[in-house]
Amino acid sequence: MSKFWVIFKKEYAQVVKKKSFIIGIILTPALMIGFTVLPAMLARVESSSTEQMAIIDQSKLHIGQRFAEEIAEYKLDETEDSYYEVRRIFEIDPIENERFEQLNDSLRNEIIEKNIKYYFVIKSEPLVNDTNIYMVTNSDNFTTIRRFERKISKVLSTLRLTNADINLGVDSVLNITRRIDLKIKDAKGEVIPFQIKYFAAIAMVGIIFGMIVGYGQMVMRSVIEEKNSRIMEVMMSSVSAFQLMLGKVLGLGAATLTQVAIWFAIGAIISTQKTALDISPAIERILFNGPIIIFFILFLVSGYIMFSTFFALIGSIVTNEKEAQSFVMPVTMSMILPFLVGIYVIQEPHSIFAVTISMIPIFAPTMMMMRLVFIVPTLSEYSMFSGIVGEATLSLLIVVFFTIFMIWLTSKIFRIGILMHGKRPTLPEIMKWIKS
Amino acid sequence: MNLRLENIRKVYGDKIAVDDISLEIPSGVIYGIIGPNGAGKTTTIRMIMDITRPDSGQILIDGHKPDDEFKNYVGYLPEERGLYKKMTLVEVVTYLAELKGKDTKYINGCVDDWLKRVDLLEYKNKKVEELSKGMQQKLQFITTIIHDPKLIILDELFSGLDPLNMEIMKDIILDLKRKGKTILFSTHVMEQAEKLCDNLCMISKGKKVIDGKLTDIKSKFGKNAIQIDIEGDGKFIRGLNGVKSMTEFNNYIELQLDENTDTNEILKKVVEKVTVRRFEMIEPSLYDIFIDTAKVDPQDMSAEKGGSDV
Repeated sequence: MSKFWVIFKKEYAQVVKKKSFIIGIILTPALMIGFTVLPAMLARVESSSTEQMAIIDQSKLHIGQRFAEEIAEYKLDETEDSYYEVRRIFEIDPIENERFEQLNDSLRNEIIEKNIKYYFVIKSEPLVNDTNIYMVTNSDNFTTIRRFERKISKVLSTLRLTNADINLGVDSVLNITRRIDLKIKDAKGEVIPFQIKYFAAIAMVGIIFGMIVGYGQMVMRSVIEEKNSRIMEVMMSSVSAFQLMLGKVLGLGAATLTQVAIWFAIGAIISTQKTALDISPAIERILFNGPIIIFFILFLVSGYIMFSTFFALIGSIVTNEKEAQSFVMPVTMSMILPFLVGIYVIQEPHSIFAVTISMIPIFAPTMMMMRLVFIVPTLSEYSMFSGIVGEATLSLLIVVFFTIFMIWLTSKIFRIGILMHGKRPTLPEIMKWIKS
Repeated sequence: MNLRLENIRKVYGDKIAVDDISLEIPSGVIYGIIGPNGAGKTTTIRMIMDITRPDSGQILIDGHKPDDEFKNYVGYLPEERGLYKKMTLVEVVTYLAELKGKDTKYINGCVDDWLKRVDLLEYKNKKVEELSKGMQQKLQFITTIIHDPKLIILDELFSGLDPLNMEIMKDIILDLKRKGKTILFSTHVMEQAEKLCDNLCMISKGKKVIDGKLTDIKSKFGKNAIQIDIEGDGKFIRGLNGVKSMTEFNNYIELQLDENTDTNEILKKVVEKVTVRRFEMIEPSLYDIFIDTAKVDPQDMSAEKGGSDV
């Protein structure tokens, strides 16, 4: 296998010596630090400011005033300041249409200029028709929306109860029917905010995707380049096609691993400084989680070998890079799919659909990582045969076996494909090569 | 290193590229495979190199099927040439020699000498893409022989080379022969083969036409050829009694005579009509032998003959 090492060494050195590789190494730590430290910093910045709002109230029932009192209960951490600051409440008569339009326009401008974040419009007869109350904002923050919904409902309920002639006290009815702010914990009793899981999953899936598509295509380009520079015959007089293919795939794979290893080293340094850097425990639970790290590496490596073998196959049968693009498209698309169906998988990581898709070889590296991050294995789940770790192990084995099959298949086609010039083989021809 | 081809046959679709060819390439000779373009030379060589596999027949190296070690003992210059354009000369030579199982110590010990031999030493650390085509070809030749192969296979080595570079390569090839290497080369330019090879094989349309030692082949075809250099139109000569065939070149005419033709008679008849500057009995050229034995229309071959010269 010494010839394999010669190819391995050359392919590895060729990438590692490139400027882009060095830049990647410098840029990545910056991004990593940014990713781990920035959320904490952002959270602090956010909590120090209140959100400004205004209310136009045409109800004549002081609903705006009551609402403002209700939401004042949401406080900033450890301070007496309210999270929402109601700057002004305009109580106007329902018939003052002109004045309403003026206010509406000016408040809309305030939102565009970011002086306020929300304004409420309460038209007449809000107790009869819910659509007479609405909020104008550019924000989709569902925590805030949920809070507002709850509080405005409470105000309306109170008014309706007062109007209705019932025997119970209004307060006691409200107490009986009160809605709660639901706190979300997972099955293990942990509270890892959705956003953190989401960003961690996107980051890891993104790295796997980027590495596979980036380095995989490098394998393909390298094959096409050797084909076009007519060096393949010389190579074939020295080494076997299999040695050449494996040397390329693994040599570039080693470059991938080098890059990842450097990231991990930086990650390890960050983890020793986590107190100083004020990394939240939630981020720590995901990023410095044993099984997640191990499966990340394993899926990266196996996924890379699987796809780059396929890319080598494409390189061997096409005559130029332009022609290759039509083959690369479906491969890239199959890798983008997780980002599309991911929205569903992250909401229901235990569903049959999510489990199934994470067992399909070409989707497994990305989908399984997504599920792992969202399920977050705990210490008690570190079993190879059950739970999420067990499923990940099974999915990894499927990827490995499929990859072995891919290598076998590719080696059959590669040998003949790399020596063909000028013409792309047809599917029947390729089938004949596989059988031979 | 002795090389034997036994009843090699290769078919592409409905075209028979190589049809039942058997060859014996003895150790330590320069062996030429000769034939026009498309005759099956490259296909034959590719089968020796295991790049394409024969449909039937077998190839034996010293009596055995070629094994993995064979790749280390052979130096192969394909017709379709190429090198890594972005690498420097010394990197390319080192890489390709390493792939032939040589260690860096061996390579460092001889790379400069070889580059110097083909006048490329000063470009040692330049990128391959900066070289001219002729220089790249010389570099490729070096990569073919730097690992000291026992068998050297050169497919159309001289195509595209200027006479000066051809001379350099020819000297190296003769040197290699003196060192006991077996050299197999293919060409469609007969004169090159004539000047270089000890043994040869002519192929046409996938079939072997003739093979053996050059001297044997030539003596077999006797001395029935004449070269004349005349002033004026020599077309009438073709019709003279005893003239089997005639080939016109730019500066002279070559005649194949029937056996027992009196050459003096021919000369007399020619002198009657045109001025003769030169009249010479010659050995038949390989070209003539090829035309004669392969029954090829000379018109098809004239383009080949007019090619480069060694």
